[in-house]
Amino acid sequence: MRPTPALDVRGLRVTLPGTARPVLDGVDLTVGAGETVALVGESGSGKSIASRSALRLLPTGGVAEGEVRVAGEDVLTMDAARLRQVRAGTVAMVFQDPCAAVNPLRRIGDFLTEGVTLAGTMSPARAAARAVELLGAVGLDGSVLRKYPGQVSGGMLQRVVIAAALMGDPVLLMADEPTTALDVTSQAEVIAVLATLRERFGTGLLFVTHDLDLAAAISDRVYVMYAGRIAESGPAEALFARPRHPYTAALLASTPRMEGPRGRLAAIDGQPPDLREPLRGCAFAARCPLATEVCDERAPLPSPAPGRPDHTAACHHSDLLEGSAVDA
Amino acid sequence: MPENVLEVTGLRRSFGAVRAVDEVSFTLPQGGSLGIVGESGSGKTTTARIVVGLERADEGEILVRGRPRGGPPRGRTARLARAREIQMVFQDPYLSLDPRTSVEAVLRETLGLHFPGRDHTPRVRELLDQVGLGTRAADALPRHLSGGQRQRVAIARALAVEPAVLILDEAVAALDVSVQAQILNLLADIREQTGIGFLFITHDLGVVRCVTDEIVVMRHGAVVEQGATDEVLSSPRHPYTRLLLESVPRPGWDPQAIAAARRAL
Repeated sequence: MRPTPALDVRGLRVTLPGTARPVLDGVDLTVGAGETVALVGESGSGKSIASRSALRLLPTGGVAEGEVRVAGEDVLTMDAARLRQVRAGTVAMVFQDPCAAVNPLRRIGDFLTEGVTLAGTMSPARAAARAVELLGAVGLDGSVLRKYPGQVSGGMLQRVVIAAALMGDPVLLMADEPTTALDVTSQAEVIAVLATLRERFGTGLLFVTHDLDLAAAISDRVYVMYAGRIAESGPAEALFARPRHPYTAALLASTPRMEGPRGRLAAIDGQPPDLREPLRGCAFAARCPLATEVCDERAPLPSPAPGRPDHTAACHHSDLLEGSAVDA
Repeated sequence: MPENVLEVTGLRRSFGAVRAVDEVSFTLPQGGSLGIVGESGSGKTTTARIVVGLERADEGEILVRGRPRGGPPRGRTARLARAREIQMVFQDPYLSLDPRTSVEAVLRETLGLHFPGRDHTPRVRELLDQVGLGTRAADALPRHLSGGQRQRVAIARALAVEPAVLILDEAVAALDVSVQAQILNLLADIREQTGIGFLFITHDLGVVRCVTDEIVVMRHGAVVEQGATDEVLSSPRHPYTRLLLESVPRPGWDPQAIAAARRAL
């Protein structure tokens, strides 16, 4: 039997008052124990709402249907006491801006230990010892404990926040654009830390990002979201080398990168669908070069690539794309 | 040979003991595109702010179309003339647009200030066309526009005064990839049509590679390497440029090695 996944989301649907379509529409997503998964999407794709559902952090007025299992337990139905335990330890989250995650008036040592000591899972002495150990794991020494957040660099502070996230021994660590606010060289350092920690502690890692290249570089599997739905999912390498959804292909083509031709980019015309308009067919149809009548009428269901069951795309015309991508 | 729209020589600026900008020199030909890259604290933004006039240099010379840019302008005419030389587009268009002024009113205000006593209707139309905004967007307030549309407005406003140089300070950094591509293509079109010189301030080497002819790499206030973009990016000479290049994520990327190289440098 396979071990229980760190996160298993089934048919998650989130509706908000005053919108014509759900902000999340039938999202299925799994992060295995010790696996690194990237969730890629642009603003408004629902990637942050999807990841935050693992902590049952829903947008104001949001109603969720479906299942969100963390280490086998559904967080959408559990009672408040259990939810508090999950939030205090089982699932940890690292946000984009480390400065916003810490109290600038308190020492870093207090920030690291307050979560576990307040939750009563560790004595202050044990928490302090654990904090030093974790700081070592993220490449910092114990002297940081006495410092204030303003006395360290952004990259160091993000590593402090990661260490703090690991204090409660989480099964699942979620990182929402954790390196977007950092310079490229400190980004590498933070990613290196995350990769080491995963090997060392076996934590499942869900990496939420808009950066396709970063997702490809660090993750085992990738989910691409568009307008509240999973457009494509699969092993990182296959998904980037042979995308099966036109949105993934278009996103790859519009990214300025270090290889390939210079000059003009293949921009995607138009804009993502408005939340105030209902969606009948495929969400990407209006901007898709492959769209036909069927795309406006029926929303495509995720279907696997021939011979590669773990690579799925929700597109009526995946097979057309596969041929052209191989030729290119 | 095209004339240089911007010549910067020996720029220096210190804040206390910190040398934020240290002996920075570069030239930008008419219709050219120059990228200044570097990380936080490299001095790239301070350099741009000195060039546009938001910050004072301790030493150095700035020539626009061969004429010295000089110190703070005296009087309204001089100030407006100075503003027409160089325009700047910032990272967050939401912060650089008045939330209560519609797109068309923004453009009319700028045109009215710089070119008084004319009918601006055709020029407003032309500017909106140039940045790809429709008539519906013309009446909208900034909050009703998407990030990409707002950045188009900021670009249209900068173009309105027909500047010699346009400085783009991380102007596409906050946009989604697909919108970023639209704006970068738009900027390429504008450069072809107008011959305005572009100065890109950015940390994104992919963007620099895509839109610039020449590149200046800055670190700790000083220029560590400069030259033609494709040359510098394909065969970097300075170890810091190499580190920056290796730090760009790609398949088979080794963050541990980069972290080690960063500490060694």
